[in-house]
Amino acid sequence: MIIGRPSNTIRGKLLFVVLVATSLALLISGAAMAIYELRDFRETWVNDLTAQADVIGLAAAPALQFQDPDAAYEYLALLKAKPNITGAVIYEANGALFASYSPSEQEVAFPSLPDVDGHQVREDELILFKRIVANDEILGTVGLRASYDLTGRLLDYLAILGAIMALSLIGAALISRRLQRTITEPLAEVTSVARQVMEQRDFSLRAAKSSNDEIGLLVDAFNDMLNEIGRRAEVLETSNKALEQQVRERERAEEARAAGERRNRTLVTAITQVVWVANRRGQFVEEQSGWSRYTGQTRDYYRELGWRRAFDQAAQNELELAWARALNEPEAFELELKLWHEASGAYRLVSVRAVPVLSQEDAVDEWIGAVTDIEDQRRNEEALRTLNAELEDRVSARTAQLQAANKELESFSYSVSHDLRAPLRAINGFANLLWEDHKDKLDDEAQRKLSIIRGQADRMGMLIDDLLAFSRLGRKSINPAHLDMAELVANTFERLNGSHESSNAEFRVGKLPGATGDRSLLEQVWSNLLSNAIKFSSREDHPLVEVGGIVEESENVYYVRDNGVGFDPRYQEKLFGVFQRLHDESEYPGTGVGLALVHRIITRHGGRVWADSRPGDGATFHFSLPKDVPNE
Amino acid sequence: MNEYEHVEILLVDDSALDAELAIRGLKEHKLANDVVWVKDGEQALDYVYRRGQFEGRSGVGPRLILLDLKMPKVDGIEVTRIIKGDPKMRHIPIVIMTSSKEERDISESYSLGANSYIVKPVDFEALANVASQAGYYWLAINRVPG
Repeated sequence: MIIGRPSNTIRGKLLFVVLVATSLALLISGAAMAIYELRDFRETWVNDLTAQADVIGLAAAPALQFQDPDAAYEYLALLKAKPNITGAVIYEANGALFASYSPSEQEVAFPSLPDVDGHQVREDELILFKRIVANDEILGTVGLRASYDLTGRLLDYLAILGAIMALSLIGAALISRRLQRTITEPLAEVTSVARQVMEQRDFSLRAAKSSNDEIGLLVDAFNDMLNEIGRRAEVLETSNKALEQQVRERERAEEARAAGERRNRTLVTAITQVVWVANRRGQFVEEQSGWSRYTGQTRDYYRELGWRRAFDQAAQNELELAWARALNEPEAFELELKLWHEASGAYRLVSVRAVPVLSQEDAVDEWIGAVTDIEDQRRNEEALRTLNAELEDRVSARTAQLQAANKELESFSYSVSHDLRAPLRAINGFANLLWEDHKDKLDDEAQRKLSIIRGQADRMGMLIDDLLAFSRLGRKSINPAHLDMAELVANTFERLNGSHESSNAEFRVGKLPGATGDRSLLEQVWSNLLSNAIKFSSREDHPLVEVGGIVEESENVYYVRDNGVGFDPRYQEKLFGVFQRLHDESEYPGTGVGLALVHRIITRHGGRVWADSRPGDGATFHFSLPKDVPNE
Repeated sequence: MNEYEHVEILLVDDSALDAELAIRGLKEHKLANDVVWVKDGEQALDYVYRRGQFEGRSGVGPRLILLDLKMPKVDGIEVTRIIKGDPKMRHIPIVIMTSSKEERDISESYSLGANSYIVKPVDFEALANVASQAGYYWLAINRVPG
């Protein structure tokens, strides 16, 4: 800390002020005291010398009376004790020098005659004259000469003053330093907070208030200011952010616009379509590069309404009409016209589409259009149409063929049922007649052969019946109804068991879930399966037929089990074929159509049929029916 | 012999063998005395309407027509349509004889008004049932049991 050059800190400045003020006060008071002291010093010195002179006068008075200069000198020599007395003389009453004294070898210059009583200061010397008076008689005069050491005294004084000042200043500095804390610390706090705020941009910081004086007010004001700044900064930041957002959005929009424009430009050059722009009267004004490329028209040709000449005559007329309408009532329109194609040197079919660009007032600013070459497309469509038509023709021809084939099949089976039976009836009928009319003329062997003929003719009748039934099934439509399978099974079994006179099979029926299907067809299924079960178990001691059903997730499964001869599982695949038999006809009569019929009926109902067995171990036939009968 | 015993049955069948067997059956049931056999639909219509070779034939009827379906020239369906479409003749019961239970035959003959059908070879029990249902008790009455 250097006094005289104020520091940059408040502390420094305060200290500076204190020290300057202290110094000034000390100097003024020091000066005042010095002046007073100097005056006092002279008076004291004059009084002192006067007293000396009086003492010497009193002492020297007898010497004068007795004219003893040596005694007078003796008294003067006593002045040795006063080093600042540089000379002393005693004059006689008549003014003659009586005795003189000098502390040094040097003769002291005194006037030859004594001056009047009093003193005079000459340079740094005080000269004093004092009459020696005894009994109101002037005996002589004492003259004293003393060095008047004012400068030395002043210097001493100044040294003391300087020391005092230095001590005072140090004390003041120390005290002010301590006292300053109460001022500077809150200020330093405010400063540090301010610095933090500046560095961290954190306007939530607050300076601590430690007093209620001006500094307290300052802290309050500072905090208020921070509040305000914080609020402003926040507002500013918000608005900055909004601004940034806006800027970003604008940038994005600008980017999008630029991209859109790039895309448009690329599109115009990339698409095979020709894009054109016309003014509101349908005139080409700007350069139409696409149009030029396609039609070969130069700008001179297509400008204004020249572009229409690129269409063939019929198209020009059509276009003119359409434009007249469009100019009247601005609406987008589309036409298919023949347009000259320079590259192929021919007119090609194009689709011309024109869209009005409307101003904000709904007036037409200009027209934008596209020309699409649809020649190939049309040709392809035509080819496709032809192809489709051909295909349709072929399909209908094929359908007709199929229908004819179906009809043929139907009439075939009809013929079979009538014509194939006629000879059979004759064989059977006349064999019967032979039997009835001529039985007694036939020997045993002839009768045996005749009965074979009758039997086989019967069998053939059955085969034909079954075959026809099977073929009819393929054509018969299914009439689905909800069926009580338990009832259906009971009735069927009763009917069958009655016809198998030799059979006395035990019949066990488990739970049978209902089904949806064609009653007569499913009756046929039960009939075939049950009659098989009865037939193939008829040779057992205790024939047993069991029927049951299982409800599964999407279908119901039914089964018919017997304890009859069973079959070899290797031939399971053959079971359901037409005219497939796994057993001897003589043992178990049948045509081999029954299971084929079952298979066909169940399949047509959307179900499955399967069987499992071992020879001699009985057989189980299963069939499933979906819970939802599919629509045929 | 009352008038009901004067039975007249028109048997229409192009198959001589079938006809012979049918007549034999009718004979066995003592119904053959008044059976007239014609070989096709045309002759059947001639007989019913007394024309052609049957112009001025004697007798009434027929009381019953046993009609085969599949015949040359005019078939059984056509014969049924004509007779059942004729208010004067529609009372004559027609029993169709079919070779099979072809649904098509059965439904067609019924829709044309045939009274019944039987499957060949003619089952005379069934025939008697059919006739009795049609109101012709004579067949049932004259039936020889066994």
